[in-house]
Amino acid sequence: MSDITTTLRERARALMEDGTIAAFIGWEAGRFERQTTPLICLDAADTDRLIFDEYCVNTTAKYVRDLKQRGRIGVAVRGCDSRAINRMIEDNQFKREDVYLLGIPCPQMNDRKTGTVLNKCQDCAHRNPVTYDELLGEAMEETAPQDRYARAHLVSGLDRIARQNIFNMAFERCIRCYACRDVCPCCTCRTCFVDQRNVGWLGKQDNLSENRFYGMIRAFHISDRCIECGECERACPMDLPLMAINKKLVEDMNTLFGEYESGMTTDNEDALRSFSKTDLEEFE
Amino acid sequence: MPVVDEKKTTEEEWEPRILAFACNWCTYAGADLAGLNRMKYPANIRLLRVPCSGRVNPQYVLEALQKGCDGVLVCGCHPGDCHYSTGNYYAKRRLMIFKRFLEYVGLEPERFNVKWISASEAGRFRDTVKEFTEGVRKVGPLKESFTLAPSAGDKLFGAHNESEAPASEEGGAA
Amino acid sequence: MSRIGVFVCHCGSNIGGVVDCPAVRDYAATLPNVVHAEDNKYTCSDPGQAKIRQAIEDYDLDRIVVAACSPRMHEPTWRALLSHTKVNPYMLEVANLREHDSWVHADNKEAATEKAKDLVKMAVAKVDHAIPLYTQQIPVNKKALIIGGGIAGMQAALDIADAGYKVTIVERKATLGGKMPMLDKTFPTMDCSACICTPKMSEVGNHPNITVKTLSEVTKVEGYVGNFEITIKEHAKYVDYDKCTGCGLCTTKCPSKKIPNEWNQGLDNRTAIHKVFEQAVPSKPVIDADHCLKLTRDKCGVCAKVCPTGAINYEDVDRETTETFGAVVLATGYELIKWEDLYPEYGGGAYPDVIDGLHFERIINASGPSEGRIVRPSDGKEPKSVVIVKCVGSRDPNKGKAYCSRACCMYGAKHAHQIIEHIPDCKVYVFYMDVRTPGKNYDEFYMQAKNDGACYLRGRVSKIYKEGDHYVVWGADTISGAKVEVNADMVILETAMVAAPGATETAMLFGVQTDKDDWIIEAHPKLRPVETASRGVYLAGVAQGPKDIPDTVAQAGAAASKVIGMFSHDSLESNPQISNVDIAKCSGCGTCVHICPYGAISLVEKHLRENSVKVTRDVAQVNPALCQGCGACTVACKPGALDLLGYSDKSIMEEVDALCQW
Repeated sequence: MSDITTTLRERARALMEDGTIAAFIGWEAGRFERQTTPLICLDAADTDRLIFDEYCVNTTAKYVRDLKQRGRIGVAVRGCDSRAINRMIEDNQFKREDVYLLGIPCPQMNDRKTGTVLNKCQDCAHRNPVTYDELLGEAMEETAPQDRYARAHLVSGLDRIARQNIFNMAFERCIRCYACRDVCPCCTCRTCFVDQRNVGWLGKQDNLSENRFYGMIRAFHISDRCIECGECERACPMDLPLMAINKKLVEDMNTLFGEYESGMTTDNEDALRSFSKTDLEEFE
Repeated sequence: MPVVDEKKTTEEEWEPRILAFACNWCTYAGADLAGLNRMKYPANIRLLRVPCSGRVNPQYVLEALQKGCDGVLVCGCHPGDCHYSTGNYYAKRRLMIFKRFLEYVGLEPERFNVKWISASEAGRFRDTVKEFTEGVRKVGPLKESFTLAPSAGDKLFGAHNESEAPASEEGGAA
Repeated sequence: MSRIGVFVCHCGSNIGGVVDCPAVRDYAATLPNVVHAEDNKYTCSDPGQAKIRQAIEDYDLDRIVVAACSPRMHEPTWRALLSHTKVNPYMLEVANLREHDSWVHADNKEAATEKAKDLVKMAVAKVDHAIPLYTQQIPVNKKALIIGGGIAGMQAALDIADAGYKVTIVERKATLGGKMPMLDKTFPTMDCSACICTPKMSEVGNHPNITVKTLSEVTKVEGYVGNFEITIKEHAKYVDYDKCTGCGLCTTKCPSKKIPNEWNQGLDNRTAIHKVFEQAVPSKPVIDADHCLKLTRDKCGVCAKVCPTGAINYEDVDRETTETFGAVVLATGYELIKWEDLYPEYGGGAYPDVIDGLHFERIINASGPSEGRIVRPSDGKEPKSVVIVKCVGSRDPNKGKAYCSRACCMYGAKHAHQIIEHIPDCKVYVFYMDVRTPGKNYDEFYMQAKNDGACYLRGRVSKIYKEGDHYVVWGADTISGAKVEVNADMVILETAMVAAPGATETAMLFGVQTDKDDWIIEAHPKLRPVETASRGVYLAGVAQGPKDIPDTVAQAGAAASKVIGMFSHDSLESNPQISNVDIAKCSGCGTCVHICPYGAISLVEKHLRENSVKVTRDVAQVNPALCQGCGACTVACKPGALDLLGYSDKSIMEEVDALCQW
């Protein structure tokens, strides 16, 4: 692991010094043990603070949007980060040449409290970056989960009342901090619908119906683009089963409109912005 | 703002309140034709005219279901017949997903449906309204599962009994 | 604060007889921002409209709700009224109390009144958030495209061209004319069909304002009323029409002579290079690539050798051209139903002397293969007993079509009359369900056929089978109640008209709907019979539904007059209910660009000042002339940067909330 940290620092410094990139996005040690925070290096000297270990839980790709006005941005990317980059390129947030990607095959990240592998990493099917300019270290053997939609299947197997209870309780618990939205690489709107007072999509009340409106519509907005990184669920302070929702939507789209994985390329035909005349007809 | 008529909300006299989003070019015209032919169908339905089923945002549907409608119907042109060539194909995909999503979070399937009804299918419009209204009537008022929103404050006063519902185990690690 | 006026219409007793209009009026008056509510006997009448004008003045109204009939009926009326007042015509909402309420809930007056209140409430909520909209001017290209070169298309083309505008006719076949020149005589006057149709064909062919494209079809349509960008594919003819003089030498020398002649319904043969028929327009041959020896096996080449002008070109390819047209007339016509698959009890096509009406037209036609002598296709003998069966495929929802094909009763009578006229000792039996002859001199014509000696039997035919050299027809005479068995030498099935193949696909290119039988749906069955729901697209002839020649010609003239009316203006008013971009919300993701069916949205780079910083970023831009206002983009736009004027997110949400919560 420390090898990767060393190489990462060297390469990031070199790229900053030769002017290839204007900033570099990675992680640095946090204030607590087994904790890291995202680091944005604006100066070559900052790169010495970079680290990479199994507690770099944050997906950092979204910071590119804030920095892109500075020039080309270097990013340390694992599988999920690289798919996030692809996704944002496809959503026209920046271009591939605006980023310089240092790929890192991911050893899987751990929960800092328990030291066990994070849920989102257990579900991961692409630990190696799917796009990069340089690969640091050796590519991993992929360990795709048995059931891509396991988290949805846990719920979809239950009867309606049980599902209703699960989600009513979950949305009841939601405090609408919008962390799930803020970390999501698909949430690239400038003004989220929840922040628009004039249309009246959502009230400020903290109650089941407003929370559910937010929870469901947020998921629906990213549904055909979700890269299944699980960041939303990890970031949720209330432990809501967000991936049970996202995976359900992804599963339905895969079953109904053809297999795809978002973020693997930048020219995916997103299911909800395309159609086929041969689509299943169930509304006859 | 006028207050909801108390009479309508009591159990005994409950009548389903149904909102239908109707494409101006087909279903709305089909409903006009049903009127022209003096067809009879339940008076529970209210049509909201939209230019195309592609204009129906699932957000409207959720809003209607959460704010007091017992059922929502979206009607558009048959695939291939869209006045704007493709609007209903997009609507179809969106609403196929959204219908599954609503059912996943616990809504009865009877409460939300999509139907393709052309301008000439007055009889089909009538039958759809009858069927849908009966379906909603069968599942009853939509307050237990969706509408009644116990506020956060209710939790403090024990209005929401958490022990009755199975615990969720899908929480991610923080 | 808006000032809303609500006008509740009784529509005589249509609404007032069911809905308690005064109660609806009183309820409306309690709704937020409603400053005036009144009920009228007929709001659409002159006095009713005058009251709206007066109320606008008296109460300083800035938006209006009319609770009356369907907005599809009178919304334009109210908009026109408002355009003469200080209220913007788009600050109007119509609550449909008639078609959607009083007419369908007459059995429950209380529920109807409750529903009326809800509908008014929703309309008030929506109009409260309306914003004024303004139309723009769209330039009109004064050139018309007619799709289909039958009698409907030709009549429309001539009328438009005579008014001084350029017209292009696109015809799928190799000649103009459609079905009409195949016919022998036309009822009830018994004019020779070719004598009245072929002069029109040559008039079209020679008209300086008309361009004829045969063997052609429309493959792509872009643009909008006044500015349709239409791609026409002209299939290869393998004959250069600029060089060809139509001398016909090639057709006499062609060695492939055994191809069934479609024009004569396969009663005789034609050559591979052929003119569809003698009076074809353009009067020039085409090569049938499927049967030409040169094109299939690279042998022969005789036509090129004999052609005195070197017009034959075996290398010819399909050519696509794109032109701009201001208006389009759909005149795609019909075919006869394929009865062979539907009626195995009539022999399913196995008996050569059981033929359809068009076959018979070619047999009796003086220019047909038997030169007008009525003979049996099987042995060339003159029939002495003929059975005519009407409604084959028509009025038969189980096997064919539910509709009446309208012309069959008359051409059935015509066939009976013609047979008796040609073969006086021939017996003619006509099996019918009803005889429908509404039309000028039509019933007289039918009575004449009966007086001539045609035996009309009311009943369907259940079976036709062959016995020796004649056919046995089993039928019923429902008037005498007897089972009827007739020996016939020949049977003519008067089959249903069905929409031409491809008519639906062509209509779809223009966003025009067709019904379950593939007939094109008119904008309004009574009031806008030659318009379609797509602005600038009109229809003529059987494409709309079965009709006879006089009706077809009348409708073609009507469609032409609509086109001419449109061309009399240099520009049209645009639809202001279109998509609108809020640049501040747009993140430039480009989803809308994918979704727009009209290519009306593009991403453009904009230099903006945001939070005191100069930024350059992509944002969506809507072309107001291309946008048709479907709203598909507005739903795909997650932050709602795109919104549909007239059906905004806000106004729909207000309607929903009003229904649910007020």
